[in-house]
Amino acid sequence: MSGAPRPGDQLPALTKLVTQEKITRYADASGDHNPLHTDPQFASSTQFGGPIAHGMLVLSYLSELMTVEFGMRWLRGGRLKARFRGPARPGETVQVSGRIRRADDASLVCDLECRNDSGEMLITAEAEVPFA
Amino acid sequence: MTGPRATGETFASLVKGQEFAPVEFQLSADWVDAYIAAVDDGAIRALGSDRVPPMALAALAVKALIQDTRLPPGAIHLGQELSFPVPVEIGETLTVRARIANRGERQGWALLGIEMTVERADAQPVMSGRATLTFPLGEGVEG
Repeated sequence: MSGAPRPGDQLPALTKLVTQEKITRYADASGDHNPLHTDPQFASSTQFGGPIAHGMLVLSYLSELMTVEFGMRWLRGGRLKARFRGPARPGETVQVSGRIRRADDASLVCDLECRNDSGEMLITAEAEVPFA
Repeated sequence: MTGPRATGETFASLVKGQEFAPVEFQLSADWVDAYIAAVDDGAIRALGSDRVPPMALAALAVKALIQDTRLPPGAIHLGQELSFPVPVEIGETLTVRARIANRGERQGWALLGIEMTVERADAQPVMSGRATLTFPLGEGVEG
């Protein structure tokens, strides 16, 4: 974006490759070793049919997009409200994109989404950034 | 926050109003580096070498929640609300607090709403949020 942000402006998209190695690293960092993420045998017995990424790992990609676009404004008062709508699986490329829904003197609100390379929706979210 | 403490239990046994024991963490450079590598965050370092991705605080909160309370295998994260009023830096000591805001059961699955805050030693919040989780109830689902 250039100039003052306006409703309808698109945020630059971010693309990430989800790998089992990243999932394992996230499990180690967060302490969340739920076998749904880390044990292919267990995960294959669930409705997902195989391992899936932690929702918070994929959600971090939305936060990264906001950091890229808004820098310290995002870190100083950002808000995020997300719904996890589908799983991200190892080997998938996911794309995070967003659009400004509302902007005024105090803040702006963005609609964000994350889709996999089949176009399936993984996360929808609303992000607010203070803009004073 | 008031209510019984959740330690040494499973999420399946938690009830509305129950608190998790506060957990204190130091944001070590090693842990933050490991988090940034895990999430492949290419943006945060541009803001300064001591900056911490805000979502790292959420990961820290999860780490605290499951330190003493076992998350059932097959648990699914349905939703997440987070706010980050102020940035934090590597080296800070933070305390995670959490409580069960609501609990329901439907068709063999439990639904939990968990309120979380992360605060500095002076009680200034640096993150607050709410997670919504679901997991299967019944025999053999907790490992």
